[in-house]
Amino acid sequence: MTVKIRFFARFRELLGTDIVTEVAPGAMFSSLITTTARKNPAGYAAIFDEKGDFHEFVILMKNGKRIELTDAAKTPVVDGDEIAVFPPVAGG
Amino acid sequence: MFSQRELERYKRQTMLFGEEGQERLKKAHIFIAGAGGLGSPISIYLAVAGVGTITIVDMDVVDQTNLNRQILHFDRDIGKKKTASAEEKLQALNPDITVNAIDVKIEESNAVKLIGKADGIVDAMDNYPTRYLLNDVAIAKKIPLFHGGIRGFYGQATTIIPGTTPCLKCIFPKAPPKEVFPVVGVTPGIIGTIQANEVIKYLLGSGELLTNRLFIWDGMQAHAEELCVERNPACEACSNMTTTKTPARKKK
Repeated sequence: MTVKIRFFARFRELLGTDIVTEVAPGAMFSSLITTTARKNPAGYAAIFDEKGDFHEFVILMKNGKRIELTDAAKTPVVDGDEIAVFPPVAGG
Repeated sequence: MFSQRELERYKRQTMLFGEEGQERLKKAHIFIAGAGGLGSPISIYLAVAGVGTITIVDMDVVDQTNLNRQILHFDRDIGKKKTASAEEKLQALNPDITVNAIDVKIEESNAVKLIGKADGIVDAMDNYPTRYLLNDVAIAKKIPLFHGGIRGFYGQATTIIPGTTPCLKCIFPKAPPKEVFPVVGVTPGIIGTIQANEVIKYLLGSGELLTNRLFIWDGMQAHAEELCVERNPACEACSNMTTTKTPARKKK
């Protein structure tokens, strides 16, 4: 099955966006993002901390609905899901 | 009532919303938090549109490194207080409005008093701690917060109507780390102009506001999109407000 991952702002600079990827049935939200982000160490470090947890400011959405960071490891992705990962943009 | 000079000045926009609309802008008081990259286009466009009273607050001095984006400030202003520079430019752009430029750091101890009886708060800050403070005051006073943020070629904006839309903490519960962010001047130009457009629509009571939607701009792709955002029932800032379906606009 395939899902689409969309990164925004700084995450997009480091990892690209609209990444369509094949995932095995039963794959969890957080493991999918981890695998995808590993392609670029700076991209991974922008999203995850040293323990491999999401930085607390990261916003996750699945098909337009917010996913709590604490639920990402137990939220499965299904065929056709569109996943958004973005940071709050802080400058003014 | 308008002077002949004002009638001429606003002629091309009273074609859109009449003298009645112009009167609504004239009677309004808008608080702009920050006279930097976002605050520059926001204050310029609200001044020339004829928003009657503009309070603009900043604690910084104009620095050479500001000048690639902070179009309120000129090379000759380096070393001057941003508030002094802003007041001079805004008053020169439109002598028929009142500009209060206040040189102070916005803090918990002074935010409520600074914002006073303003009809809305425009977020032109560069950090989340102050944004959360503005969010709290907007909730307490039940006035809108026009949010904007930028970095590099990317930007975001949304209009927050306390009790109706998600607040800033519903959307962004945790602040990102502080950084010296890269930016090209057009990005705050684009986002700040969207915020000013929201203020004008809100004051006029017409159009569709950028509510319950996070506008996201990618200048590199020249692509804009929006994400739906929802209130967080457990939000530490606004969950005690009951949801109202009142139209999100200024009362007549």
